[in-house]
Amino acid sequence: MARRTGRGFGTAGPGEKLLRYGLMLVVLVLTVGPFVWQLSTSLKGLGEDIYTRTPNFVPADPTLANYGGVADTIPVWSYGRNSLVVAAIVVFGNAVGATLAGYALAKLRFRGRRLILGLFLATLVLPGEVTIISQYVTVRGLGLADTLLGVALPGAIGMLNVLLMRTAFMSIPADMDAAALIDGANVWQRLVHIGLPNVRGMLSVVVIFSFIGAWDDFLWPLIVLTDPENYTLTVGLQYLNGTFSANPRLIAAGTMIAFIPIVVVFAVLQRFFFKGVEEGAIKG
Amino acid sequence: MTHQRWFTPWLLVAPAAVWLAVFSLWPSLNTVVLAFTNAKPLGGGRFTGVENFARITDDAQLGDALLNSVIYMVVCVPLLTLLPLLLAVLVQRKLPGISFFRTAFYTPVIASAVVVALIWGWVLEERGLVNGLAQQLGVLSGPLPFLTDRWLLLLSAISLTVWKGLGYYMIIYLSALGNVSRELHEAAFVDGAGPVRRFFNVTVPGVRNTMALVSVLISVSALRVFSELYVLSDGTGGPGGQDMSVVMLIQMYSRGFTGHLGYASALSLLLFAVTIGPMLLLLRLNRKAA
Amino acid sequence: MRKGWLIPVAAAAAVLLLSGCGLGGDGGAGEDVDASGEVKGKVTFQTWALQPKFTDYVQGVIDAFEAAYPGTEVEWLDQPGDGYSDKVLSQAAGGSLPDVVNLPPDFVLPLVQQGMLLDIEGADDKLNADYVTGGIDAYRYTGHNGVYAYPWYLNTDVNYWNTELLAKYGLDPAKLPTTVDELIAQARTMKKESGGEVYLMSRKPELGDLANAGVPIMAEDGKSFVFNTPEAAAVLDKYRAAFAEGLMPRDVLTDKYAGNAELFNSGTVAWTTGGGNYITSLATDNPTLAPKVIPSPAMGTPPLYAQGLSVASGSKNLPTAMALARWVTNAENQAAFAHLVNIFPSTKASANDPFFAQSDGTPSGDAKVIAFTSLAQARMLQPVEVTGAMSDIVKQQISLAISGDASSQEALDAAVEQCDKLIGQ
Repeated sequence: MARRTGRGFGTAGPGEKLLRYGLMLVVLVLTVGPFVWQLSTSLKGLGEDIYTRTPNFVPADPTLANYGGVADTIPVWSYGRNSLVVAAIVVFGNAVGATLAGYALAKLRFRGRRLILGLFLATLVLPGEVTIISQYVTVRGLGLADTLLGVALPGAIGMLNVLLMRTAFMSIPADMDAAALIDGANVWQRLVHIGLPNVRGMLSVVVIFSFIGAWDDFLWPLIVLTDPENYTLTVGLQYLNGTFSANPRLIAAGTMIAFIPIVVVFAVLQRFFFKGVEEGAIKG
Repeated sequence: MTHQRWFTPWLLVAPAAVWLAVFSLWPSLNTVVLAFTNAKPLGGGRFTGVENFARITDDAQLGDALLNSVIYMVVCVPLLTLLPLLLAVLVQRKLPGISFFRTAFYTPVIASAVVVALIWGWVLEERGLVNGLAQQLGVLSGPLPFLTDRWLLLLSAISLTVWKGLGYYMIIYLSALGNVSRELHEAAFVDGAGPVRRFFNVTVPGVRNTMALVSVLISVSALRVFSELYVLSDGTGGPGGQDMSVVMLIQMYSRGFTGHLGYASALSLLLFAVTIGPMLLLLRLNRKAA
Repeated sequence: MRKGWLIPVAAAAAVLLLSGCGLGGDGGAGEDVDASGEVKGKVTFQTWALQPKFTDYVQGVIDAFEAAYPGTEVEWLDQPGDGYSDKVLSQAAGGSLPDVVNLPPDFVLPLVQQGMLLDIEGADDKLNADYVTGGIDAYRYTGHNGVYAYPWYLNTDVNYWNTELLAKYGLDPAKLPTTVDELIAQARTMKKESGGEVYLMSRKPELGDLANAGVPIMAEDGKSFVFNTPEAAAVLDKYRAAFAEGLMPRDVLTDKYAGNAELFNSGTVAWTTGGGNYITSLATDNPTLAPKVIPSPAMGTPPLYAQGLSVASGSKNLPTAMALARWVTNAENQAAFAHLVNIFPSTKASANDPFFAQSDGTPSGDAKVIAFTSLAQARMLQPVEVTGAMSDIVKQQISLAISGDASSQEALDAAVEQCDKLIGQ
């Protein structure tokens, strides 16, 4: 078969680049448009109508006053700190718990494995709408009502994350494990030296998913927390939507404030796991 | 063949298993018990036998809801198994500004339901963006009722699911793509395989496990669809409630103080039974392929 | 073996379901509760979505209470607007209801059924002397003796009209419609003049509209529904014809109550209904629209919206809780509240306050006066027995009737049948 001439594998030609950027721009408009609108609303002054027939994307008289307004109305910093505490517990729990369980379910043979796996899968299917009150009674029984730990606990090991980690460990070729086994490595050594380096990508996915889940949750923290001092950001932002007063500009600004940390976490983490993606984590 | 002691795997699984038992299995068992009562959120639970299940068989809305869920699944599974994979391949290559695009594509996943509702309302309503453009271009003579027609509303909700799902599953695929051997790609390239053939001969087999997982997740979440239909119909379930999904029905019956928890629990069990089917099927396919 | 695990599970579930029941026993039902002890010590006080706008007001009321009763301490919790029913539900299920808690009438019934709230009428002889009957009656429940909250602030609906749109499309803002038939006739004019660009009506009928037409919603005993009468069908038929004629946007089929306010705010619709404070909030949402809006009295019987302060029967400090609830709802404190925002006191002493009967000449001031005078006839149009699910089912069936997918009578029959099944549960 004739060898290709010209550019080699792995570098994109100008035509391909153009095509890729073109496609990406199309997807960009579809995915980011809503946020541009939200951002623009948060920058609109009191003199400008929000609900008009045709949405106006460019504020006539941009102002940062709404952001100041949010900070004046509610203690954004302490609510943000509470949200961070909850998110940190949830991320830690998932990173450790889901990794350990995922590894055991993917790579170790033991009695009851199929049963456990089946139970994990089954819980994915049960709608949580009916169970939220009984979860609250459980958390209260543990003495964790009105604490940030109580908010974090139920989500601290997500069953979906266990399954994601299991899938990642499954795709490590069996001969790599076998080789380590011959060298006499124990379970822990195999997990740390062969397992973990090869699932960094999925691990960052799990971290991101659990961070977002913890950060965005509204109903559950609202139920667990009573003292407004303990409120997380999503719950606290609801104060902007008071009984006789709802200013959509403030709400938009509040939403952007809650949104920014998620984008930051994602933007930071994506470096780690896309690096893995580009290098190809497993050498054939 | 192993050096492991019998309890080692259990030590690793233990934390997750405890969580499973306390926060999933226990409430689930509770749901099973509740399904045979006429419980309200505050007391009053009395054993009523199979009364709730008898009502299920004669709930006209449930028929609509099941049909909606099946349509949802049939449309979403192929779309969301393939499109995010293509998107992942598109952003896999390191190009200037790629981090920005990757992050941007993920933003719909993080959007709050309120924002999504506002925006999509404007895009799809009778005087919204889509109708306006289509009429200006002469594609349509009058506006289409995207949000107030039983079938169009379902279609709109599906588009919204796909919109949100693109970024979510793209990430799962991206991490899986990292595991596809670069050497295989290079070998195929040397053999003269074009991008399309490399996609089908190297990429797809390389992420087959992930595709199976993704399609399981999509079918389960399609059968359990809630927020998209809820948000686009403003919580009403479309004209006459014909666009309810099963989860929307459960939410309608279990909501708040006055919830009919018994019937909602019976509906949950039904949904569980319906969802477990496709899941077992896909798992079997997965095992055969592997 | 099977049974071996089923029984503990069932027992535990029963405990879960009944948790909270043991709290107050039967708190009401004429039984005399001794709430007359010394007013001293700590109580918790929960309000709904009053922070941050009314933080100063509420804190001021609390500080004055603590000063008036030395040795008392009030812990104030204000809960956000969204998710309040879930919040109160979890507090009730967990046995941690605050001592004094702000509740609308429909939240109170399930708590009363569990004996979790104190009968105020039984504990306070002066309740009927000091508070307006409408407010008190909002907290009476069929099958339960007594009154289960101090009525707090009240509100009702007022019609709001966009005068600019009316004038532009051939209608006279001085001759606003006062009946449904007039409304439909004017909607026809507006549709014709605007070429279908602007609507007058954008709301489908609800249970309240049926009640307004004289249709009984429930049977006398409160155990079954009876609103599937030919009169009710005739009301729906009017709207159905109006919808078919294109006098309402298609959105009415799927809109919740707030939908028509949104359309009004965006200038697509010329009529909406809202509380006495609507223009004030419109001034923030859409400042250019607010000056063009004028109010008029609601058509038919105005709806009553009540807020009240209930006292938990499980409270460890009943005397102080009672004193606080009474303090917050006393004439002086309520009047001060009503001067801050267009809401209305539930105390008889405020009924003669000239402040409420005199407009400052602005549309917002007119709305205040209209709402205040309407309150005299206002009543709760939807029975508290209607659960969330029932209310959804009724809306869906009415939507089917309006869209023409079912006849009005069929839709009403189906709604009544399903609601009867649910209430039997």
